[in-house]
Amino acid sequence: MTSYQHVTPEIEAQLRNIVGEKRFMSGDTIKPDYSHDEMPIYGSYMPEAVCEAESTEEVSAIMKICSANKIPVTVRGAGTGLVGGCVPVNGGIVLSTEKMNRILGYDMKNLVVDIQPGVRLCDLAADALSHGLMYPPDPGEKTATVGGNVSTNAGGMRAIKYGVTRDYVLAMTVVLPNGEVIELGRSVCKTSSGYSLLQLIIGSEGTLGIITQLSMRLIPKPGMDVSLILPFANIREAVAAVPEIKLANLDPQSIEFMERDIVDSSAAFTNNKIFPTVVNGKEAGAYILVTLVGDSEDELTLKMKRLGEVAAQCGAYDTLVVWTDGLKKSVWSARSAFLTVIEAEEKMLDEMDVCVPVDRIADFLMFTHDTAVPYGITIRSFGHAGDGNLHIYCCSNDLEEDEFKKVSKEIMDKCYDKCREFGGQVSGEHAIGHAKKAYLRESVGDTVYSLMGAIKHVFDPDGILNPGKVCHDI
Amino acid sequence: MLNILVCVKQVPDVNLVKIDPVTGSLIRKGVPAILNPLDENALEAAVRMKEQYGGTVTCITMGPPPAAEALRQCLAGGADRAILLSDRAFANADTLATSYVIVTAAKMFGNFDLIFCGKESMDGATGQMASQLAERLDASQLSCVSLINHLDTDKNIIQVQRELGNGTETAEAQLPCLITVEKTNYLPRIPNLERWLNSRTAEITTLSAAEIPGLKAELIGDPGSPTKVPRTYPPQTGEAGIILNEGNTEKNVAKLVSLLGEVL
Amino acid sequence: MKNKNEYKDMWVYIEHDGKTVQNVSLELCSETRKLCDAAGEKLAAVIVGELPEEELKKVLACGVDKLIHVSGTGYDYLNTDAYSNLFTELCRKYEPSAVMVGGTVFGRDFAPRFACRLETGCTSDATELIYNPESGDIEFVEPAVGGKMMAVITVPVLRPQVGTIRPGTFKYQPSGERECEVIEETVNFPVDKIRTRILDFKADELDESLNIANAEIIVCVGNAVKANTLPKYRQLAQLLGGKLACTRPVFDRGLLPYQLIIGQSGAVVKPKLYISFGVSGAINHVTGITDSDMIVAVNTDPDAAIFNYCNYGIVADMDEVCDMLIAKLSEKKEA
Repeated sequence: MTSYQHVTPEIEAQLRNIVGEKRFMSGDTIKPDYSHDEMPIYGSYMPEAVCEAESTEEVSAIMKICSANKIPVTVRGAGTGLVGGCVPVNGGIVLSTEKMNRILGYDMKNLVVDIQPGVRLCDLAADALSHGLMYPPDPGEKTATVGGNVSTNAGGMRAIKYGVTRDYVLAMTVVLPNGEVIELGRSVCKTSSGYSLLQLIIGSEGTLGIITQLSMRLIPKPGMDVSLILPFANIREAVAAVPEIKLANLDPQSIEFMERDIVDSSAAFTNNKIFPTVVNGKEAGAYILVTLVGDSEDELTLKMKRLGEVAAQCGAYDTLVVWTDGLKKSVWSARSAFLTVIEAEEKMLDEMDVCVPVDRIADFLMFTHDTAVPYGITIRSFGHAGDGNLHIYCCSNDLEEDEFKKVSKEIMDKCYDKCREFGGQVSGEHAIGHAKKAYLRESVGDTVYSLMGAIKHVFDPDGILNPGKVCHDI
Repeated sequence: MLNILVCVKQVPDVNLVKIDPVTGSLIRKGVPAILNPLDENALEAAVRMKEQYGGTVTCITMGPPPAAEALRQCLAGGADRAILLSDRAFANADTLATSYVIVTAAKMFGNFDLIFCGKESMDGATGQMASQLAERLDASQLSCVSLINHLDTDKNIIQVQRELGNGTETAEAQLPCLITVEKTNYLPRIPNLERWLNSRTAEITTLSAAEIPGLKAELIGDPGSPTKVPRTYPPQTGEAGIILNEGNTEKNVAKLVSLLGEVL
Repeated sequence: MKNKNEYKDMWVYIEHDGKTVQNVSLELCSETRKLCDAAGEKLAAVIVGELPEEELKKVLACGVDKLIHVSGTGYDYLNTDAYSNLFTELCRKYEPSAVMVGGTVFGRDFAPRFACRLETGCTSDATELIYNPESGDIEFVEPAVGGKMMAVITVPVLRPQVGTIRPGTFKYQPSGERECEVIEETVNFPVDKIRTRILDFKADELDESLNIANAEIIVCVGNAVKANTLPKYRQLAQLLGGKLACTRPVFDRGLLPYQLIIGQSGAVVKPKLYISFGVSGAINHVTGITDSDMIVAVNTDPDAAIFNYCNYGIVADMDEVCDMLIAKLSEKKEA
């Protein structure tokens, strides 16, 4: 049992001294937003103080004070997480990196950009494009910080072609719990140099160290892209087409699936009725959205033709071409609004971010629907069909919170069991936080879970960094 | 069989145009040229008329050769034929000269029963083209049309609903009729692969000034344009206001509330 | 071709429905009066059909020198056929130097049409009218390229100079009635040659929340607004006893109805307090707010143009400021 100290007035004064009056909050001045992320169902926990750091030195100084006094420190970026990862469940301080939002510079010869962790994903993506480069990872939440993306190893829409955030981190500066500053990785593309602590920090959700600077790999901007909408009768037929599309050797940038109900909701909510609901006289029940890239229109045309053939063989009602920038913007903004739409329409939400083998997507979705129906819970889902990463939401507008939590847990238990049976992962890209800890343990088994715990102990013997998260039990 | 004309324009994506802070001139480099968004709604309305009553949809534009791309988008969106009027002599035309060129050329392709236009262009935004095209085609005109109710093909009368800002008018007009379309009910369709592929290789009829019979040189381009733009300048900005700086947002808001005390 | 200096008088078309005159026509009379003073020309009002005495007085109060009163067939309802013909004939007969038309739906339909028939220049949506004594031309100043630029448009050779001006751009400032010559004109347009017919008109239900033109307090959201946080701003507007409004891009995204647009292509407002959230400050929008007594702007971008027009600005996240304002105002209310 770890025992933590509280932030005393003396410690408060020391912290205030480091970051200054403007970037320090305590007591009533702390905004309630710091007590939760975007999944409020997992509870609200107010920190005792919030420090907005601006430099590695400040982070280091804060950690020295907190480790000396055994004060829990929870790092927070934009707070857009979905598993309570940045929520201070044991109090202490929240260390916000939002002010560390500078893009430090590009190495155009080696295609590397150095950034502070608080740079927002959308800002990095846009800035890279203005340099003729692309930052490939493309998680749905564009206002998340890159530091947060690295800490959760966020994936996103383009993972099927380009991989996930992990594949683009070359080096980082990390502040250890005792305040010591270390450099991990180098701005080169290969390494065979001992255990990769860099890879260990990626996806560790702020439990091992605090990332204060990042070197991210970029790629040249692809020449052209086109998106295609394939409407199907139902989700089963839609998802069955995915392996065929992957086998067609088109190297798609993304393959997304969407069910009709969420497309309708998004259309109503944003007044953007971009997805056709009746195609060639038939009602569409589900859609696959594919994005292809190429260096020339000829190359894209060949790929599109091949995709069209595959789509027809798989029973798609048609193959619709999203070619102009205006259409692309409409289609992708409708897609990006899905989570917002669910949040707006449903009072109670709980989510699963499982990743299952692509050929089991349909079975898994059917299972979740069938499981939820007897409980009076609605299942709403969308996700990355190309890599089997599904975002599944248990929703209710009728149940009281306690009752909802109870039945949602029963459904989740069954679904995570099924996910394990299918050979899937607990989380594809949203991570574990404190919400999914039990499921992680069940999924990986006691041996692996305790190895994770042991690693945590090596980095953070006092357990002050983001306590109670991932594999850390208090 | 209806003979339908859709008049379109390729425009710079105005949202992406920037102004050079030093010279005050437009930075057009890297700004994509797009089909004027409201023209997409006009096209959609035209294509639906064709689907319902039969006929052909011809789209026409005046512009430099790259404007062919906008026409290809129209073909993908359901048009049957595309005409590009392209000549250096057409440059610097205002709406009067442009409507003259378009109508003179369009007449080479028969008499049109219905003519569709976007309400206004994203760049010029004068909203005058439709009226002047109607005048030169000797067509009746119905603007702000939100829905086409009915076409009486015996009497050649079209009945529509118009959104006038304070209410909805039901009106009818004798063909030939020029219609400008509101976007709500005429969202452009997404073309299917077959249509799109055809649009990429389809022939686009391209005409120079010399290839349009009877076109008078003094009525086109700069000489044919009675309106001129002697100068442009960046919008004058007002006096900079007081940016509240009380330390943090919370305090700024508190300050604001006290400053607004009386008004609130 | 006749010399342009031989064309005399500036005309304003008075649009009315037999009961009331459109405000924009009065606004145009006031503004054109100034042009006439600068140019040494006479202001003429063109009225088709009959107008109640008190409405006519409003027109004459702008300092109208001439009244061209038209009767005849074809004018029972607004239609481009009869009116285009009328103005073509009148312009050929009287040769005015300018014709100003209110930028109503109808004005925007028929003004370019008769200008085309006359083969003369037509401009639309000027926000400023300047008489240039050297050239003898009216300079129509209007925002161009999405408001990123101001363009001066002139008609340097031909006459009349035709312009349509959006409602609310200018103010109705009666300068006083003066001696007015009344010219009676009869122009008949065959009714069977009118090609458009109005079958029905359903007025929009008067929704007070959509009427922002006379609101005393306005909360305006710009393109930075997120669909899911929009209700906050409605709530703030309610707390302030004001109305919610928006910029055009917000309407284009389908988030709010067109009646709530402020700016060049929307309403011109004159509130005591205007608070904008996430409004960048493009000139198209700004032209609609400059008569506000107090302008407050909230934007994350310290370089946003809106800060050049505001009395007070806050550089911060709009949602955050909105939340805080709601909290503060609710407190105040309870206390």
